[in-house]
Formats: sequence, C-alpha cells, structure tokens
Amino acid sequence: MTQSFPSLRRAVFLASEEIAVAVEDLWFAYREGKWILHGVNLQVPAGGFWAIMGPSGAGKTTLMRILAGLLPFPRGQVFLLGHPLQGKPEPGLRRIIGYIPQQLGLVRGLTALENVLLGSLARHPGWRTALGFFPRAEIERAMELLELLDLADKAGEKVFRLSGGERQRVAIARTLMQDPQLILADEFVSDLDLPRAAQVLAFVHRLARERGLTVILNLHELQLVQEFADHVVILKEGQVVFESPALDLSWPLFREIMEGKR
Amino acid sequence: MSAKRLDVHGTLRDMEWRRWRELGFSLGLVALLAGLLNGMGFFEAGRLIQGGVNLARFAREMFPPDVRILPTIAGALVETLQMAFAGTLLGFLLSFPLGVLGSRALFPAGVVAVVRFLVAALRTVPSLLWAVLMVIVVGLGPLAGTLALAFYTVGYLAKLYAELFEAIDPEILEAMRGVGAKRRHLIRFVLWPESANVILSQLLFMLEYNVRASTVLGLVGAGGIGFYMQAYLGTMAYSRLTTVLLAVLLLVIGMDALSAWIRRRYLLQP
Repeated sequence: MTQSFPSLRRAVFLASEEIAVAVEDLWFAYREGKWILHGVNLQVPAGGFWAIMGPSGAGKTTLMRILAGLLPFPRGQVFLLGHPLQGKPEPGLRRIIGYIPQQLGLVRGLTALENVLLGSLARHPGWRTALGFFPRAEIERAMELLELLDLADKAGEKVFRLSGGERQRVAIARTLMQDPQLILADEFVSDLDLPRAAQVLAFVHRLARERGLTVILNLHELQLVQEFADHVVILKEGQVVFESPALDLSWPLFREIMEGKR
Repeated sequence: MSAKRLDVHGTLRDMEWRRWRELGFSLGLVALLAGLLNGMGFFEAGRLIQGGVNLARFAREMFPPDVRILPTIAGALVETLQMAFAGTLLGFLLSFPLGVLGSRALFPAGVVAVVRFLVAALRTVPSLLWAVLMVIVVGLGPLAGTLALAFYTVGYLAKLYAELFEAIDPEILEAMRGVGAKRRHLIRFVLWPESANVILSQLLFMLEYNVRASTVLGLVGAGGIGFYMQAYLGTMAYSRLTTVLLAVLLLVIGMDALSAWIRRRYLLQP
C-alpha cells in the first residue's frame, strides 16, 4: 500500500487552526499486518460537535486513543488544532486535549476533588504536586468546576462511593480542569440510561458552545447523536463508510449502513 | 436449531472417562504419598509406638509450666515484637519502590527483569539463614534479627506489590497520562490509592508472619525470645520451655487480634 503525500496547499489547510482535527490517510495495526484502521480521513472544524458511530471492533476507540496522543501510528498524518501529532508531538499539545475514556479512568481511591485536581497536572508537573500539594488557585478552580457540575457537596467523597452519573460529571470536571480546546470522549455515557446520558451530553454540549470547544464523541445511540451532534461519521472495519450532518442520518439509513446494505 | 444431533452416548462416555481419569489421578497421588512415607519409616509400628512413649514422657516434663521465669523472658518478648515491627516496616519501605520498579505498567522490561531477579534472589534465602548472615555482618543481637526480617519481607512484599501494580486498570493509567501526569504522579495518584487496601492487607499479613518468625531468630543469636527457647531446650528445662511457648502463643494471638482490628477499622470497603 502506498502512502499519499498531500500537496503543500493541502498540508497548509490540514495544519490550519480552523480545522481542529485533521486526519489524513491514517492506518493503524496492533499486530503486524492486521490493520484496525485503513486509511481514515476526517476534518473536524474548530467548534464542531461530532459523533463517531459504528459497530464494535470498527476501530472507534483506537481512533480516539490515537487522537488523544496515546497511541503512536505508523502511517498517515494527524493535525490537532494545527499541530502535527506524528513524529514527536509538541509537549504542550497534550494540555489542550481532554480525553475521557470509556470507563472514565477515574482513580476510585481518591476523592472527587482530588480527581478533578489531577486535570491540572500538565500545568504543575513538579514534585510538589507529586507529593499532593496543589496551588491554592487550582484547588479553588477545581471547587468551582465541581460546583458548576452540581457536585460541590461530593467534593470530599471517594469516587467509588459516587453514582454512575456523578462519576461522569467528575470525569468531565477533570477534563475541563485541563482547560482543553478539544474534548475526545470514548463512549463515556454508554453505562448510563438514555435520559441520564442525554442530561450529561446536554451539559457537555452547552459548555462546548459557551467555551468554543471542539468535541468528538464515540456514541452508540442514534437518538443522542441526532439530538446533540452537528455531524456524524460512521466507521466500519476501520474505514469511514458514511459522513453527513447528524440530522441527515435517519433510522432506516443508519440500519442500512450498519447491515452493510449501503 | 442446529442440524447436528446431540451425541448423548458419546457425551456420557466422555464424562465417564473423565471421572475414571480423575479417580486414577487421585489414587496415584495417594500411592505416591504412601511410598514417600514408607521410605521415611512412617509405617514401622515399633518406631511409632516408641515415638508415642517419648512424646508422653516429654509432655510430662513440660507441665506444669514454670512461671517464675516470666520476668526474665518479658524483656525478650518485647524485643521480639520490636524486631518484628521494625523488620516489617523497614522491609515495606524497601518493597514499595522495588515493587514499582518491578512493574511493567511503569518501567521498561529491562529494569523490571533486573529488579524481579533481585527480589527472587532475596526470596530464595529463608529468614533463619538471613539471621545467620546478619549475625555475621552486624554481630549478635536484635539488629541482626531486624535486618533478617526486613530482607525476608522485601523478597515477598516486593513481588506481591509488583504484581498488584501490574493489575491496575490500564485505562486509569492511560487517562492519567492523557492529563499529562508524569511517572511520579502515577505512583502517588494511581498506584498508591488504587492499591492501598491490598498493600495494607499484605503488610499486616507479613507482620503476623514476622512475629512468628522473629520468635525463632534468637536460636542463631539474632535477638528475641528464641535465645531462651534454645537455652531451655539445651538444658532440658522443659517446664520453662513450656512457659516460653505459651508466652509466644499469647503474643501471636494478640498480634492476630490487633491485625484483625486494624483490617476492620482501616481497610476501605469498595
């Protein structure tokens, strides 16, 4: 397979800050020869609220982990907010990407407040924070975020004692604590029932709009996608098989795509 | 419905064959044990009867216990406890970093292999042999016993901790790396809080073990109550030996009770 090299004009376009996420001919395999992603292309505009859908094993989580800078990829190009992710990404890049994994990745033995504070580690990577001493301003900020998410009274509660919905909100608060420009969330509401998932997404949607954040979500529920996302991408067997404004994706069309009839 | 019909006869035959194999394996084990015991003279009736007679005579001489020695052995008992506590804590302080270094979740395979080899080597040496070595290194007394227990503790706890850290949910580590956490943050904010329960539980287990182990270290001059055990055994003062054994029994029971209380009081309920 040959790798495509974009023209200079195209490279400039992909690296522009207007495009929050640009993925060009991305390939990835966990094992030699067994490709999980086959030449994925995506261009998410800054401020977009995009949903990625697809069956299990389609490569959605892999794509998210690559965009979060957690998986090096062998082929293709990825630009996040104009910065290249390939090669050795700029150290500051991670600061502006907020990643929420499927199981949230919260530390169960720490309190809600401590978990939120961890979002500030990229700003304070020294030994002081490693010993558990965070600047006062960061603690105040973390408290404000917990308050914003209606969790102020749970600040001192260990995460394993919180309900599913409360944990989602702690994960969101930790991500916001990073001060990200891009939020990547991997099926992070899949453990919630539909009304609760809608509540959480409504909150993220409102925050993203207020703060001009770009959001990319892996979602399973078409209803949620239609309600919140402005654009949808469907991945199947590691390839983008469909892309359109979210409202253009109807149930019958979605079923046809998932069943491979289109 | 599957077109293939269930082969009842074949399934029953397989099950029966499996039962016979299990039975054969069990009988084989019993035969192996019998052979081993026979080689050691376990089935020589005369020897067993003589053993019973000896035991009865020994028991007669052990009772009643001579409690007049209690003030003499009290100091040694306290010393035994001190050795167990200090040895366990010192061992723990060394085990934690070695456990971190021996975990593939945080360090490259080369570092992990070296640390694991070192820890396995420490674990190969029994605590009594550590005591002999430490008596040679630092001389007679409780310091030798404490160091012996510490080394023995490291051999076990470092291995258990390394395995514990490797079992931590990789998604949590990934999320933390995603927020820009360095290795030091992962140790402080993931490894420690995610494993605290098991760390404390294993530490208490090791403390209980070391209290028992420290009672015999005195046999080789490494301090504690073992010194009196050896002295009374050597001079055939069996009624005094009984007092020492009963005191050790009380110490161990007390330690187990304390450990159970700490578990109930401080271990987190997930």
